[in-house]
Amino acid sequence: MQSFFQFSYLSRGALIAAFAAATISAATADPLTDGAKAYKPFAAEHIGIALAGAKELQAAAKGGDVKAAQAAWIKSRKGWEAAEPITGEFFSKLDDAIDAWPDAKQGYHAIEAALFSGKLDEIAAPADRLVADLTEFDKQIKAPGFTFAPQGLLNGASKLAYEVGENKSKGGESPYAGTSLIDMGENVEGIEAVFKLAFEPALKARDKKLAAAIDDKIEDVEKLVKVGDMKKVDQAALKRNGEELAVLLQNAASKLKLKKPSIGE
Amino acid sequence: MRPLARIRYGIAASLAAMLVAGAAPAAPIVTKEGVLPFGTELGEDAAALPTELFATELAGGERSYQQKLGDMLFSSPALFGGVAKQAGMSCNTCHAQGAGNAALFVPGLSSRHGNFDTTGALFNPKTDNGLFDPVTVPSLRGAKNLAPYGHDGRFASLRDFIRNVVVNEFAGPEPSGGVLDALVAYVQDISFLPNPKMASDGKLATATSQAAHRGEVVFNRPFRHNASMSCATCHQPSNAFVDGQVHDIGSGGRFKTKTLVNADFNAPYFHDGRFDSYDQVVGYFDKHYDLGLSDGERADLVAYLDAVGDASTPATTDTVQTELDEIAVFVSVLDTAIHDHNAAIVAVAVDTVGGEWRELGEHYPEAKNTSVTAGLKQRGTARAAVREMVLTLRQVDMAAARGDFDAAAEAYADYREQVAPATSALAAAEPFSLFDPSVRRQHFAALARLAELAK
Repeated sequence: MQSFFQFSYLSRGALIAAFAAATISAATADPLTDGAKAYKPFAAEHIGIALAGAKELQAAAKGGDVKAAQAAWIKSRKGWEAAEPITGEFFSKLDDAIDAWPDAKQGYHAIEAALFSGKLDEIAAPADRLVADLTEFDKQIKAPGFTFAPQGLLNGASKLAYEVGENKSKGGESPYAGTSLIDMGENVEGIEAVFKLAFEPALKARDKKLAAAIDDKIEDVEKLVKVGDMKKVDQAALKRNGEELAVLLQNAASKLKLKKPSIGE
Repeated sequence: MRPLARIRYGIAASLAAMLVAGAAPAAPIVTKEGVLPFGTELGEDAAALPTELFATELAGGERSYQQKLGDMLFSSPALFGGVAKQAGMSCNTCHAQGAGNAALFVPGLSSRHGNFDTTGALFNPKTDNGLFDPVTVPSLRGAKNLAPYGHDGRFASLRDFIRNVVVNEFAGPEPSGGVLDALVAYVQDISFLPNPKMASDGKLATATSQAAHRGEVVFNRPFRHNASMSCATCHQPSNAFVDGQVHDIGSGGRFKTKTLVNADFNAPYFHDGRFDSYDQVVGYFDKHYDLGLSDGERADLVAYLDAVGDASTPATTDTVQTELDEIAVFVSVLDTAIHDHNAAIVAVAVDTVGGEWRELGEHYPEAKNTSVTAGLKQRGTARAAVREMVLTLRQVDMAAARGDFDAAAEAYADYREQVAPATSALAAAEPFSLFDPSVRRQHFAALARLAELAK
């Protein structure tokens, strides 16, 4: 297994391919087990990015540098959003602590409103707590004995596909940071990573057409969010395509001998 | 809570408007990356909805497919283009349940809550007239009897008026004849609300107050400087209190006579919403036409207008069941659309009904919402049920889009089977949802605290 951070210089698509290539030698008889193993470094990498950003945020807040603190919050958040297929599904308590809203005492949103209105003195305590929570997350996800259950991965990816179509034009989850477009882009990358690394090889062997349809649909969603300006996002098309992707992922379940994914909470 | 929001914006609200909007805190748009201006209020967070009644149903009949299609389209963002479509707005955003929207406020386009500039640059730059001329959102109750249409009465036909709203005001694509016919059929069926204070001939019922009866006399009395005119000359009691004409009453142009039926719930008044109350309106006419009304006569006239403009049930509390009832009407369009192999209507219906389900789901705070702690399991079950409904509907659309209407019918049958368990899940979680006043208060208070912190 290669280092979690050694792929950081690569573009996102190439990053996913690199993660896939890195795990080929570890293949077992069960393609879903192999897939889950292949996905783990991606999730760990992005939780690592979230933690690194949180530490930079903590330091910038202490140093009184608002701009640097805001940039660090966004960096941390990007890592978090890319890992979102697994945050709630596998680490629900930490997810509740880190991503609570609207006026939580801890987590990203406890920091966001104050930080993006320039009030650094309000964020010291929640920034410390965010670092502590992400440190724990980082430790748990990188533990050698920790593995992702394929069913949970499919649940998480399907749920996020549904959620990416939520109307963010009214502010989404991070209205004060104004990072909805970034959030959505990272979410799609996160879904793509789950599919490409954990499920595509197995699904291709069982239903090539469905695997291609999911791949195409991810690309459609990706195009819809990569428009550079939130105002240019075709919200209706995004919602429709996000739902279609969730349906296709649900359809993949039986082919993969998994249960229909739950997309609830 | 609503008065606090009003004070914040320095605008007084009439009791009627508060009733219609519901006693909910305002939740303005707080992001700067969206298409609507920061601070926009659409009034979609109202806890009570304007009551909507249909003439067909009041007469004991059942609304037609065309009327239900129009009802669904009225709530569909697909009709519009540009910013309105991007923001997920529909006809129903402004004309809530076919009524007006006293809570509407769009910074840069509104001079007050309840009006906005339909010819401004935001929603359709091509029809920007370069003037800041906001107008109120008229109630569509009784629209069938209220021609001509538009504040200035420039459209003789409701069909032309609706087309203008869709294409020119909100930059939508040219609607098909079928779409326009459906919208007209729906709007023409929206009835005035029953008012026990009025007899069918437009006269007051005998049980109404003495003051209102005295006001009725003043209303019909010739003006002191023009004996050929009275209030009733234009606001004809036997004709829904309109004359179908436009007049210059010194308010800045020629504007159509507004109905007084159910008008207690149509504030603010005049084309631009400059007046909040009947007292102000009566004061204006008294001065403009030099009517020489005594204080008592003014009070009596206001009592009369209050009686004429009343309704027995002007607003309906928003509940799970009211939302589900509306969804049931909208989704019934699929019965015909799937049978007719009409993929376009299936697509619009699935997008619209799916959107309604999503909005319903948003009433159930997620686990990560810190403002609500009780009913975590029930809320989770309800949210999951909503999502399943949305995705099952999406399967209907996906099947129809590939021309497989048998599969579409099968998915639609699955959807119908899921309605009952979903309804149970939603009802079980209702006490822990935003339909509950205390949960609602907690949730919006948390949002308000966050907004305050972000200032």
